[in-house]
Amino acid sequence: MNAMHRRQFIERLGLSAAALPFILGLPSLGLAAPARPRQRLVIMFSPNGTVPQDFWPDEAGELSKLKPILSPLEPFKDRMLVLHGLSNKVRGDGDGHMRGMSCLLTGIELFPGNIQGGSDTPAGWAKGPSIDQEIKQFLQSREETRTRFGSLEFGVGVTDRADPWTRMSYAGPNQPVAPISDPYQMYQKLYGQLRDRENLRSILDDVRGDLRKVRQLVSAEDRRMIEQHESLVRQMENEIADATHRKLRVAPPALETGVADQNDNVPRLSRMQIDLLVNSFVNDMARVATLQYTKSVGQARMNWLGVSDNHHSLSHEPDKDTTAQEKLVKINTWFAGELRYLVEKLANTPEPGDTGSLFDNTLIVWTNELGKGSSHTLDNIPFVLLGGGFGFKLGRTLQFDKIAHNRFHLALAHAVGHRIEAFGKRELCDGGPLSLS
Amino acid sequence: MFFWQELNQVESNPVGFFFMKCVPRRNLIVIKPAWLALACFLASQDLISASAGLPDGGKLFRQQCARCHGQKGEGVKYKFDQPLQGDRSIEKLTRYIERSMPDDDPGTCVGDDATTVARYIYDSFYSQEARWRKDPPRVQLVRLTNRQILNTVADLLGIFSGSKPVSPTAERGLRGEYYASKESDRNHLVLERVDRQIDFDFDATIPDQKMGGTNSFSVNWNGSLIVDETGEYEFFIRTANGVRLYVNGPDEPLIDQWVSSGQLTEHHGRVRLIGGRMYPLQLRLFRFKDKTNSISLQWKPPQARQQSIPERNLSPVQTSPTFVVTTPFPPDDSSVGYERGVLVSKAWDEATTQAAIEIANHVTAHLDLFTKSKPDATNRLTKVNSFCDDFVSAAFRHPLTAEQKKRHITDQFKRGKTAEDAVKRAVLLALKSPQFLYLGLDDLKPDDFVIASRLAFGLWDSLPDRDLEAAAAKGELHTREQLAAQARRMLADPRAHAKTLAFLHHWLQMDRVESLSKDGQLFPGFTAEIISDLRASLDIFLEDTFWGKKPDYRTLLQADYLFVDNRLARFYGFPTNTTDEFVRVQPDDGQRSGVLTHPYLLSAFSYSKQTSPIHRGVFLTRNIVGRALKPPPIAVAFKDAEFAPNLTMREKVSALTRPQNCQTCHSVINPLGFSLEHYDAVGRLRTSEQNRPIDTTGEFVTSDGETILLTGARDIAQMAIASDSALNTFIEQMFHQVVKQPIYAYGFDVKNRLRESFVASDYNLQKLLVEIVVTSAIHRSDNQRSSKIKP
Repeated sequence: MNAMHRRQFIERLGLSAAALPFILGLPSLGLAAPARPRQRLVIMFSPNGTVPQDFWPDEAGELSKLKPILSPLEPFKDRMLVLHGLSNKVRGDGDGHMRGMSCLLTGIELFPGNIQGGSDTPAGWAKGPSIDQEIKQFLQSREETRTRFGSLEFGVGVTDRADPWTRMSYAGPNQPVAPISDPYQMYQKLYGQLRDRENLRSILDDVRGDLRKVRQLVSAEDRRMIEQHESLVRQMENEIADATHRKLRVAPPALETGVADQNDNVPRLSRMQIDLLVNSFVNDMARVATLQYTKSVGQARMNWLGVSDNHHSLSHEPDKDTTAQEKLVKINTWFAGELRYLVEKLANTPEPGDTGSLFDNTLIVWTNELGKGSSHTLDNIPFVLLGGGFGFKLGRTLQFDKIAHNRFHLALAHAVGHRIEAFGKRELCDGGPLSLS
Repeated sequence: MFFWQELNQVESNPVGFFFMKCVPRRNLIVIKPAWLALACFLASQDLISASAGLPDGGKLFRQQCARCHGQKGEGVKYKFDQPLQGDRSIEKLTRYIERSMPDDDPGTCVGDDATTVARYIYDSFYSQEARWRKDPPRVQLVRLTNRQILNTVADLLGIFSGSKPVSPTAERGLRGEYYASKESDRNHLVLERVDRQIDFDFDATIPDQKMGGTNSFSVNWNGSLIVDETGEYEFFIRTANGVRLYVNGPDEPLIDQWVSSGQLTEHHGRVRLIGGRMYPLQLRLFRFKDKTNSISLQWKPPQARQQSIPERNLSPVQTSPTFVVTTPFPPDDSSVGYERGVLVSKAWDEATTQAAIEIANHVTAHLDLFTKSKPDATNRLTKVNSFCDDFVSAAFRHPLTAEQKKRHITDQFKRGKTAEDAVKRAVLLALKSPQFLYLGLDDLKPDDFVIASRLAFGLWDSLPDRDLEAAAAKGELHTREQLAAQARRMLADPRAHAKTLAFLHHWLQMDRVESLSKDGQLFPGFTAEIISDLRASLDIFLEDTFWGKKPDYRTLLQADYLFVDNRLARFYGFPTNTTDEFVRVQPDDGQRSGVLTHPYLLSAFSYSKQTSPIHRGVFLTRNIVGRALKPPPIAVAFKDAEFAPNLTMREKVSALTRPQNCQTCHSVINPLGFSLEHYDAVGRLRTSEQNRPIDTTGEFVTSDGETILLTGARDIAQMAIASDSALNTFIEQMFHQVVKQPIYAYGFDVKNRLRESFVASDYNLQKLLVEIVVTSAIHRSDNQRSSKIKP
């Protein structure tokens, strides 16, 4: 049930408009079957390029055995689409990492600005919205696809800093959207009111006790106001009791407590965020999500893999440094493993009020800001797609020859019925949306 | 344009609390009979000669007048439906009856008949005292007003976060640290200075030669914002460089544009602030290869234009953040002329609930700060528990009883799963409790803590501070002198200043001015900036008078000076000064007369093209001279086009209000309004209108029947200062704004006593405020009393 349905529901209950914030602020109630299958999009990001020879399938066409980095996804390869040969062709201000990150989903230049990278000219934020936000705004503009949040931006280990290396989502020009890296903060955003409501419900009885007590203290004339107050409290108790009857489809996930937002906790933080993401989908709080692992030039030290080097520094090592390359493969394979956890979780969750699983109605895009770390190339950027949400033909690799990634953005927009002619930089949209179905 | 309608909009609370009914704004004013259409129909000879000499006034009234006025003067529907209440003397009533009653046959109720009927009316229901005897008002139980909630919550949390209201030092501006690098590190600090305003073009002027080059420039400004009025403040930064602005705390920047976009851009952010407080402000700027380098910091306070933050609102003093509730509340009832918490509604209940949740979440998110403990400390639970104890008793303004301790603390810790949970519950419950939300629950047996609370709410609209609490605990709030000493101490607090300013705004109806604009052709240059500066000018005058060395009421009405900046000086033709700030000037040959001739009020009580002697006159009648006015009997539009073009405003108004039933009030209003005709619609001095000299003379008849010749504003001021009813009005308005209870609930003679001590103190405004607060704080309600007692 989306927000509009909920409002009608509340109107039927005869609650006043003034009561709306209390009830409407709550998570979704039950979910009825939608008229059309839901379409959801998850964009997962990991940084610093991939290791091409251990990532890309050897040839185009049907997927056979996957290379080491993609190997964790072996069970899902028939639900997978690998796009090889997409390039981020946006030029202008900013170094390769900055443009790699901030133009990845926007497909448009950065403003000139005051942030200096390791090379090139300083730059600011992107000049336009990112594709996840574009699709979110499209879905939110229509009653049948509107949800409480529209989109949710999850982060894992993103540093607490705002610059073009840390932001890939943009609500519009100069409007970066910050991912939430702290699962507890995300939990508070998703379910905070539920706890507030519960706390409130349990103290109202005491409030009435207090009012009963003071009623005895005041004069007969003043008693009237106290009695009126008492009846308001009773009314609120009833409204809350009423709202409590309408349960969430699934309860909020039980999060491990006290996991601090720091490097060594990244594996736990990752799972907590994925759990929250899937949970928010079941309760239909959003149809679009991003899941951003660290940031461009991210320096995660994956001690849990036995890799104590900084990720970005490693990515700069030459190809012939086999030790470094092995470590990079390990790192990227770990990301694929997290992706597999997400896929499994979606695949194991039935679509509410419908047949199939969440995975059948979700498209996951795993991408990166660079093609390859050592060369910092913006060509051959990894795009691995999973899931049935957008009606693309799966189980294969498509080989392109350095075509602009804007055309992929267009394909995503068109797949949800948002038939825009261009996205990002218009010149980079020549040829129209990629044909993926 | 219906000027009656406008009059209703600018009308303030009248002299008498009792007879002010809420006059709804109406689109059409129903036509009613003239004021005091005393219907002495059929005054027969029999009755007059009934009891040897003197007739029986009551009998006369019942038989002759009650038909139209009701048995108890309450009015009769479709006849004369206004109650017979007013502030005229018996003599004036008598003369009125002789002249005008009965309505259809004036002149037949005269002599002893008129006198005894007048006396009967006066004593039974007409006079204030009669009404007080009949139905003495009482001190009502009230809930906190919105203003009180904001202040109380801010101070309640401030107790535990260590933030409390501080007064600024004399120094103004922000402390600027200039660095010759894009990072603000001490090694590159090249200059420290206090900047009066933030409005710099660093391309034109480099603050220090070391700061040349495009990547060696950053500035860090620190200090506080001095905020006078409560409301939404919008901040604007114009720059092409990277900036971050923090207002009221380091948690989250209000404007975060650290990443610049190369172009000169205006960034903005909004925040709610409570008047009478200072808020930490930090602004950071850095430049890296940007083509230009400049910054301006502006704000838009409520009721003012967007402008550079004036020097007087910036202080280099460091302050701590104040918690400001963001939950919106439904407006308080102010139908009797002051905000009071006499209604509880669903919307209000929900607002208090949402605010309680907002506050509880804030407290749990900052629990380490509030409890001064760490989550894993062994004494965490003890600390959290004692915090809750302190929090709840501070919120209740009273030590907790054993029963309260159990319900509010022990039970919540039993039921909460974690310490955080227990705190959240305790805070929620405390803020939803009547002990927090109401004032006056213990009025039937007030102890020292109740007295402390009355003083604090009276002067600050907030909780008692530690000093007051300590005095209450030691039993040092018993004598009038003890209370007065506390009140005098409390006056120095900025919250007392904010509350006073709010009262003065109300008295001068400055809280009603929503849109002030003038015809651009007739008054070129009367811009939004001028209006905003005029308001600031009046505020500065009010502050200077009330809080200066000689806080004299007479200065408010008679000062021949005002404060202007150069923009105002140029527009009004006053002497300019060398600084950009407001300075005192004595213009127009000493003809100005305090607030009466302040151009802000003169402009506010004027039409867009002309003056409005009626608006000015009504304001003077009600708020300065202290006479009650009934709602106008008929709706009359002022249509300028209907008058001959060569008439003066005085002539037009005279013609318009000539009918007898208008004159009842306009014989009072017009002479007052006319005497300000020396000032045009924007408050500039003028000597002629329509090429004829201005006539400001008029005869004003006091409520005692005395005629006073008026020639200008200074005559009105003099008359008001000498008049008991004028002083009563001022005192009553201050009382109501401060105490938020009807003054007569404290005794019929309280107003007279306050007036006498006010005059004896040489009209000392601060002493009056102290007297009012002490009078209300020390008051004891009669235990036995329900609603009616005999005097």
